[in-house]
Amino acid sequence: MIWKFKSSRHQELPLSKDSSNLFLKIMISISVFLFAVTLAGVLAINSMLVNWNASILGSLTVQIVPVSNSDRQKAHEEMLEQEQRAVALLSAMPEAKKVTALSEDQLQRLLRPWLGDDVDINELPMPRLIDVRLKSGAEINFKQLAEKLATVAPQASLDNHKLWLNKLINFAAGLKVLALAVLLLVIGVTSGAIFYTTQTSLGLHRDVIEILHIMGAKDTYIAQQYAGRTAWLGAVGGIIGVALAVPVIFLIAHLAHQIEGGIIDEARLSMGSWLAIVSLPVFSSLVAMQTAYYTVKRTLERMM
Amino acid sequence: MFETQETEPIIELEKVGIRYGRGPEVLSNIDLSLQRGSFHFLTGKSGAGKTSLLSMMYLWQKPSRGRLSIFGNNVNFANRNSLSLFRRRIGVVFQDFRLLEHVSAFDNVALPLRVSGMNEKEIRKRVNELLKWVEIDRSTSAITSTLSGGEKQRVAIARAVINRPDILLADEPTGNVDNDIATKLMKLFVELNKLGTTVVIATHNENLINEFKYPCICLKNHNLTIVPAGERKNDMEI
Ligand SMILES: Nc1ncnc2c1ncn2[C@@H]1O[C@H](COP(=O)(O)OP(=O)(O)O)[C@@H](O)[C@H]1O
Ligand SMILES: [Mg+2]
Repeated sequence: MIWKFKSSRHQELPLSKDSSNLFLKIMISISVFLFAVTLAGVLAINSMLVNWNASILGSLTVQIVPVSNSDRQKAHEEMLEQEQRAVALLSAMPEAKKVTALSEDQLQRLLRPWLGDDVDINELPMPRLIDVRLKSGAEINFKQLAEKLATVAPQASLDNHKLWLNKLINFAAGLKVLALAVLLLVIGVTSGAIFYTTQTSLGLHRDVIEILHIMGAKDTYIAQQYAGRTAWLGAVGGIIGVALAVPVIFLIAHLAHQIEGGIIDEARLSMGSWLAIVSLPVFSSLVAMQTAYYTVKRTLERMM
Repeated sequence: MFETQETEPIIELEKVGIRYGRGPEVLSNIDLSLQRGSFHFLTGKSGAGKTSLLSMMYLWQKPSRGRLSIFGNNVNFANRNSLSLFRRRIGVVFQDFRLLEHVSAFDNVALPLRVSGMNEKEIRKRVNELLKWVEIDRSTSAITSTLSGGEKQRVAIARAVINRPDILLADEPTGNVDNDIATKLMKLFVELNKLGTTVVIATHNENLINEFKYPCICLKNHNLTIVPAGERKNDMEI
């Protein structure tokens, strides 16, 4: 580890008076703020995806809609036929654990709450339902399955909700990749700013550095002083950034919870997620320190 | 040279030239061999190249041609780390002191010990001792920029000798002090020399050269001649 407390006690380089310190502090604060909010987004999307995937995995429902035909008997037979073919297709799927076509009784029981006891179901154009239990860990390509089902049973339709959820999952996963790219970008831009301000500072303190070198100081001795200073700036900037980000994250969460439908409800930040966000100053301090350290080593090798 | 040749020279220059950028050579074809434990004055008019020659000896200025060896190592082939280690064995008093103005006298003198990683307790002991010896003990914690010229000079000398260097290079250390103090400083250098330190002192001070009988390295017209102790040549310019 490059960090040595022993040598951080003396600071021959008057780095605390560098005018770039304020710039770096503000820069790091803004970066950590953006990082924290984006990270909260990534973590929220993640927990949402976990919940959605859990509800999407496990099971799926296929519905066979009645054929419209004036001959009710014939239409009913056609529907049952399609149901059988659909069941055959679904059972053949390697991901399927158990495929059950719901019986008339079961259908009636499902509908009773809406229709009451007096309605004769046989008089109504009732759809048939097939319940498919999936093996654990199985992932279904809904679009492909829907297409396959259409060839054997044109009246079959996949559970709408899940199809829609599947699209939402893809969207959220894309959003997550984008957010991760933003996180990398924020780290990159901040490291770049630290790189250039450190280089400028080295030029500014050339006289002192020359003296240190002539006294026999190695580059690491100088690099440690920069690392110490910049680690401090990284920590302070990080604390300011997180302090600003936490209320904003709460505000966004509050606004999101007002959306009806319970989609966003799944996007809770866990204890671990909050811990990660709150410990960002440690991270920013480390990144700042490492960047400054290697900038000094690299620049000095070229400069003198 | 009349000195014994049995021991290996501590500094050796062979056909060395120094130039700045694309300018003319300040010194050309310099051959010089300093024995361990020797004491030399370095003389020459202003602009003759005394500071340039010294800065090469403390491994800052690189020779633009020729070979420079120090402690038996060819400097042309030394890497950054070993250069640092060599520099720790060389004490330098600069013409303009080059102290760190924003830190205390104590921190300035402690610097050579800190860069070589000595523990603070030992540093405190050694530095306070030396500062007392050069009579700066009242103002050790004062920021260097508030010290008088004479005090700064003593701090600069203390910094140069704190780690008992093998080589001591002083660039006109008696430049702006009166003769009494100059003689006192010289006696310090002589004491160090007796302990084994190789000493080179650039100076204009004729009284010192006459009083202390040491050989002179004379720079003139880009060339170097050695004038043995106690002798005066007509072409020796101070
Ligand atoms: N950093 C430098 N850049 C360019 N020329 C220099 C530099 N240092 C010294 N010189 C030139 O080299 C010559 C010798 O200078 P210096 O070594 O300082 O002589 P002295 O110390 O004997 O007065 C002078 O002509 C001076 O102008
Ligand atoms: Mg000079």
